[in-house]
Amino acid sequence: MSPKVTITHLSDLTPPSQERTWLTAPHPTLPIVATCSSDKTIRVYSLTNFTLLSTITGGHKRSVRTAAWKPHMAGESVLATGSFDATVGIWRRWDNYGQEDGVGMNSGHTQNQTDTSTAAPSGTDAADREEDEEEWRFAVLLDGHDSEVKSVSWSASGMLLATCSRDKSIWIWEDLDDGDNNFETVAVMQEHSGDVKCVSWHPSEECLASASYDDTIRLWREDLDDWGQVACIKGHEGTVWFLDWEGEGSKNWNGPISDSVAESELSALYDQWRSQRALSGPRIVSCSDDRTVRVWRRQPKASQQNGPMSSATTGIPSIIRPTGTDEIWEEDAVLPHAHELPVYAVAWSKRTGLVASTGADGRIALYEERFITQEQQADSDAMDTTSGDVLRTEWVLVGVQDGAHGIYEVNHVAWAKRADRGSGGEEEVLVSTADDGSVKVWTVTR
Amino acid sequence: MAEIQNSNPTIINAADLPTRLRPTATRKSEYGGIFTSALPLAPVDFESALSSDSEDDNLMEEPIDEQEIYDLISSISDPEHPISLGELAVVSLPDIAIKPTLPDVLDSPLQTVTVLITPTITHCSLATVIGLGVRVRLEQSLPSRFRMDVRIKEGTHSTGDEVNKQLADKERVAAALENGALMGVIAKMMETCH
Repeated sequence: MSPKVTITHLSDLTPPSQERTWLTAPHPTLPIVATCSSDKTIRVYSLTNFTLLSTITGGHKRSVRTAAWKPHMAGESVLATGSFDATVGIWRRWDNYGQEDGVGMNSGHTQNQTDTSTAAPSGTDAADREEDEEEWRFAVLLDGHDSEVKSVSWSASGMLLATCSRDKSIWIWEDLDDGDNNFETVAVMQEHSGDVKCVSWHPSEECLASASYDDTIRLWREDLDDWGQVACIKGHEGTVWFLDWEGEGSKNWNGPISDSVAESELSALYDQWRSQRALSGPRIVSCSDDRTVRVWRRQPKASQQNGPMSSATTGIPSIIRPTGTDEIWEEDAVLPHAHELPVYAVAWSKRTGLVASTGADGRIALYEERFITQEQQADSDAMDTTSGDVLRTEWVLVGVQDGAHGIYEVNHVAWAKRADRGSGGEEEVLVSTADDGSVKVWTVTR
Repeated sequence: MAEIQNSNPTIINAADLPTRLRPTATRKSEYGGIFTSALPLAPVDFESALSSDSEDDNLMEEPIDEQEIYDLISSISDPEHPISLGELAVVSLPDIAIKPTLPDVLDSPLQTVTVLITPTITHCSLATVIGLGVRVRLEQSLPSRFRMDVRIKEGTHSTGDEVNKQLADKERVAAALENGALMGVIAKMMETCH
């Protein structure tokens, strides 16, 4: 018995870009997404009715490759965009822009008030606002990278922005939030020996993960005012295109699913599994040109400090870097083979724990983690929470959508909260972004 | 390109190059002519079934074979000689292959075109530019259901793996297409294409 997951096409986001789209970033709280296009624009679509709300133009001179929404913003949305023109743009929009009662919010930003009289009353009429170019205010251009910017990511607090480029560097910027759109360069890391394809912050800590053309994943933390590499994960045999973090303590997700364990045993298993996980922290999932999707786990701090390897893994003598900051990451799992061509994106649902991947073969694959049940073994070792071998899980391929965008390569996939009329509560949708400019929304049901 | 890297390349007589009009022994598949050729792996049914998905494909697409790929890329000029890649034997018909991308997926229209490039000298720094030219030519000429696999033939170049990794990197190729200087060089190479 192996319950499958059904992927069903819900809607396209319309009208689409006429050129390649690279990535679609769901807003952290509002039912909107931002799609990055080779036509140098960013399209903002509604997940409520799947139509275009606005198009951000004029900021970038080449393809827009990446975008990320700043978290914890109230009343205003802030979007960071990265382009092949080597710059990062910061854009701002009042959330109640276009609403009659929103005028007061715009004081001090007179440019936004020009068209409020003709704008839609509730913000639902896209047509009226489409032509209004001042809806999105260009705030600042972050200049520093030497070549194409590939990825941008805001830290959990929203205070730090990480950017990376073909110039092999990662920049960390601090948003000074001084009302003047000033950003300060906090660090420039140049340890990668190839293009840095993706950066992604830990879900709660100030720890950055990066993926590169040099086939490695690296982790970075601040130590005594200095940002430095704390781990270099080798294992992929090709460019690492994308990575994502596991969620932390989601209310709606109780960990891996088990079909064959009795209900009474489940809670004990969960407890044990959770305490193990708590020691390691959230895992990382990555995808690569080598056609694989892999999960990586940090060695629990306790056992790691006993090991003699803490400085050996990074090659940096312990005199320079205190051993306490080094982390040892190991391969937790190679997910079941599902792709015949490079895998460009992977997304780990913070809500359900499902992992989705997609790539050049035009396929969307879904994976689920399950306990491997070895009955009584758990009892004898129940107290030994530091052991990593007591409970094991396996990843199962539970859904495949071939030709998700017809004949086109799919560049990105992301989970977002469902917001259309047919949705019920905490449901999620998948948003996929393809070479022909199309963006599709999918429901995922058991 | 101030200094010519290979000033005396071997050139094949144009009359000896494989062509559709005068089939030669080097051809892999024997088809009567351009209108009767059909790929066994690509029944015409796919093309019509898929036409609604792609504006590139909505005209009834002729099946594409290795000779057609060769014709597309052999007329590209070498960046440092006014001689075609076919005449220099940088590309050759036996080093072109078309295979289904997803053999396990019934009805998948995706096909992978593999082109192996033989640089004129093993340290030719222009190998990347030639490879990029071939890839761009194919991307611009073939329907979107084709996946390009352009590589340096094994053992023919000192940094083949490095070049291959660049040529296979979609993001780098996309960025190169937006690079005016590089595209100028490639446009010049393609002036001899029809």
